[in-house]
Amino acid sequence: MIAPHSPIARIGIQAASPLAIMVGFYLLFAGHNQPGGGFAAGLVFGAVVALRTVTGLQAPMGATPLIALGVVIICATAVAPLLFGDLLLDQKVFSGELPVLGKVKSGSALPFDIGVTAVVVGLIIALLDGLGATELAESSQATYGERAAERGKS
Amino acid sequence: MHAALSAAAIAPAITGIWAIWNVFSNPDPQVYEFTWVGALDLVIRFRTDSVALLMTAIVSGIGALVFVYATGYFSPGAPGARQFAGSLLAFSTSMLGLVLADSVWTLFIFWELTSVTSFLLVGFNNTKVEVQAAARRALMITGGGGLALLAGLLLLGRSSGTTILTDLAPATGTAGILAGLLILTAVATKSAQVPFHVWLPGAMAAPTPVSAYLHSATMVKAGVLLMAVTSSAFTDVEAWKVVGLILGITTMLWGGIGALRHVDAKLILAWGTVSQLGLLVTLLAMGNGKAMFAAIAMLVAHALFKATLFVVVGEVDVRTGTRDISELGGLYKTMPFATAAAVLAGLSMAGVPPLLGFATKEAAIEAALTMEGIERTITVAAISIGAVLTVAYTARFLWSTFGPGPDTKVSPRRLAMTIPASILALSGVAGFVALGQVSAVVTRAATELNEKSSVYKLLRWPGITTAFLISASVVVLGAALAAMLIRRSNPAQVPATGPRPLGAEIADRSLDGVLVISRRVTSFVQHGSLPVYVATMALTATVATIPFFTDLTLDHLVWWDQPLQMVLAIALALTALASAFVKSRLGAALSLGAIGIGVSGLFVVQGAPDLVLTQLLIETIIVVGFVTGLGHLNREFPRSAGSWRSVRLGVSVAGGLAVMGALASSTASPTGRAPLDELADQAVETGGGNNIVNVVLTDMRALDTLGEVVVLAVVALGIAALASSPLLPEDEPALPPTDRPPTEKEVAA
Repeated sequence: MIAPHSPIARIGIQAASPLAIMVGFYLLFAGHNQPGGGFAAGLVFGAVVALRTVTGLQAPMGATPLIALGVVIICATAVAPLLFGDLLLDQKVFSGELPVLGKVKSGSALPFDIGVTAVVVGLIIALLDGLGATELAESSQATYGERAAERGKS
Repeated sequence: MHAALSAAAIAPAITGIWAIWNVFSNPDPQVYEFTWVGALDLVIRFRTDSVALLMTAIVSGIGALVFVYATGYFSPGAPGARQFAGSLLAFSTSMLGLVLADSVWTLFIFWELTSVTSFLLVGFNNTKVEVQAAARRALMITGGGGLALLAGLLLLGRSSGTTILTDLAPATGTAGILAGLLILTAVATKSAQVPFHVWLPGAMAAPTPVSAYLHSATMVKAGVLLMAVTSSAFTDVEAWKVVGLILGITTMLWGGIGALRHVDAKLILAWGTVSQLGLLVTLLAMGNGKAMFAAIAMLVAHALFKATLFVVVGEVDVRTGTRDISELGGLYKTMPFATAAAVLAGLSMAGVPPLLGFATKEAAIEAALTMEGIERTITVAAISIGAVLTVAYTARFLWSTFGPGPDTKVSPRRLAMTIPASILALSGVAGFVALGQVSAVVTRAATELNEKSSVYKLLRWPGITTAFLISASVVVLGAALAAMLIRRSNPAQVPATGPRPLGAEIADRSLDGVLVISRRVTSFVQHGSLPVYVATMALTATVATIPFFTDLTLDHLVWWDQPLQMVLAIALALTALASAFVKSRLGAALSLGAIGIGVSGLFVVQGAPDLVLTQLLIETIIVVGFVTGLGHLNREFPRSAGSWRSVRLGVSVAGGLAVMGALASSTASPTGRAPLDELADQAVETGGGNNIVNVVLTDMRALDTLGEVVVLAVVALGIAALASSPLLPEDEPALPPTDRPPTEKEVAA
């Protein structure tokens, strides 16, 4: 519904999407030491998907694979320590030197966060799908009332 | 041949041979323990003592034979044989776990597993309505008994102070009586005691290999075994003995009468099993050493002869196409092997020498004779009458099926069915030949359960004793009764399905009743009105805050920490009011978003950047979601009736006040200081991160997060499923979701 009416919104969102995705990744990786984390990153990605969907831009579809992936990653991270004789969900911290980035510290919390992100994005896609966002974006009339009136005429 | 069934026979065969070897070589018991949840004292524990080994030999030995038999029972290419093999093997494994269990919780888990797997087996022909009903009935009764068992084991574990079965201490007092009655209930449901016996005849809807296995040697013996292993805990509980005797004697007699009323051979055997189980429960309830010894001996003999008889009836069914004994006859000419097996097993069941059943029946009568006073009279009389009925229904079954009569046409013999039948039938003879060995095994097992059993032996020839005279007259009377019944029998009068057990009606009705009630409750609770759901939840939350108001004080409240908070609060209050009174839906959605952003402003002032970030992002998503959702609705809110409006206002105001009051009182008496420093240290040390919130989420309380993520995933999948399923059938002009009219008007009405 927005697409035909507002080229500005459409182009603005199109231009901002890559930036927003970068912000999302930043939040995901920074979350362990700075504000952010998997949930926040998932919300940023989700917002990108939502905005692109309602303005009729290309956006990821299909919530189920993403949700499944997220749950699998999280469960794998949770169970993996058991294989090494540690407790369920035990955290492992790794640090090392990488070119360009310098000293990098990360841990098994990262895959856990990635799983959370995937589930959150999947939830938002499912919600948009449930609300019929794609069809709305394609429809030329803004509201239910106007669409009903138009259907009455035809 | 069915590859799946043959392959499934391998595991029970190996286990069976191992167990039989060990039963006779009598090694020291071994204990295998695995701690499941240490903090809850939950261990998986198995023990290979004499009782467990004996039961393992029965479960796996007969199991292997039944698998072989099933390869003959199912015609080549019969559908579902693979699933059948899987289910039967699952049941066999559950049963094995049950007999080896040495902790009450292990016992309980495998007990329930046998209920579930037997449901699958009984309901194997799941397209027939009566099979479905029978399977449901069996599951409901045995599953209900499982609940009683859980309660009983909890009480028993508490009073004994241990969950190890072999260490159970005698229970006393009210708790002991209650535990005893609960466990007897479980025994009665599983081992088909009156009035819970109704599921067993119904379960004959299962394929015959299932009946031969579950309803002779395993499933129905689970209850008896439970009674045997817990009996040492109830030696001081009089109610255990009295209720057990009443249950057992009633069942023994009623089952025997039931077996005489049927013409379906399989039902005759099922009712006979009910009767024999009654005898076992009676013996176990008597509680003396001789009775325990007789019960174990009887248990072994019954498993052997009843499995044989079921197997033979299955063969008759497959080869003649009927199990109706009034239609059958003359099979001794056409099915000599099956006839021989049936006669051997039948005579063992009737207690005729020289078969194992004779020695065990003598032991049972001897056990009753050792009782004192009125109990002696009652048990001797009951066991004798039960034995007369047993002889009568056995003779009637054998004579009418295999004896002279209209010659029934038979199809060719299947070797896979004959071999198990022959092995099982000959084992009854072998048991009598090697009576000394068998007797030693039984004595060992019985002594583990009751120390006083150690002095008893099975006798090949007891001499002319009271017990022998009783059992001789039993055989004569039973044969006379059978002859009378055969002469009088008029097939036209008896329906092929036989009289339907009274209790079956009750069981089925109550199951249907539960469904009806649940449908009513669902349609009352799940009425489908979104505003009413929200109002209900808000009201519930409001009521839940009532306890907080007992220590509500306002002294500790200050107006603000920083003046900016007051500014934000006023703005928030105004926006909230606006959102309540604005007419346009879009306006309401936007002002809700504004409230969220205002709240995140409050978080900024408090210095909580993580909360701010999350709150802002959530608000963004919610506003986009609202706007998308509003596309399906009219621009303005519908008018609603004044009374409904005031209800909603009232609920909202009450909810707001409740939250305010609860927060005020919860901050009134802070208990200790927030563990901020510890958290900060731990975050860096164990979590390797500086963001405490994130480390708490992904490390310290990661299990909570895991649970939340799973909830989130389930919600998302639910939404995805709802979104992709059309609510209306295809042939009606289905409105696409975008054109659904608003439902609030219907709701408000």
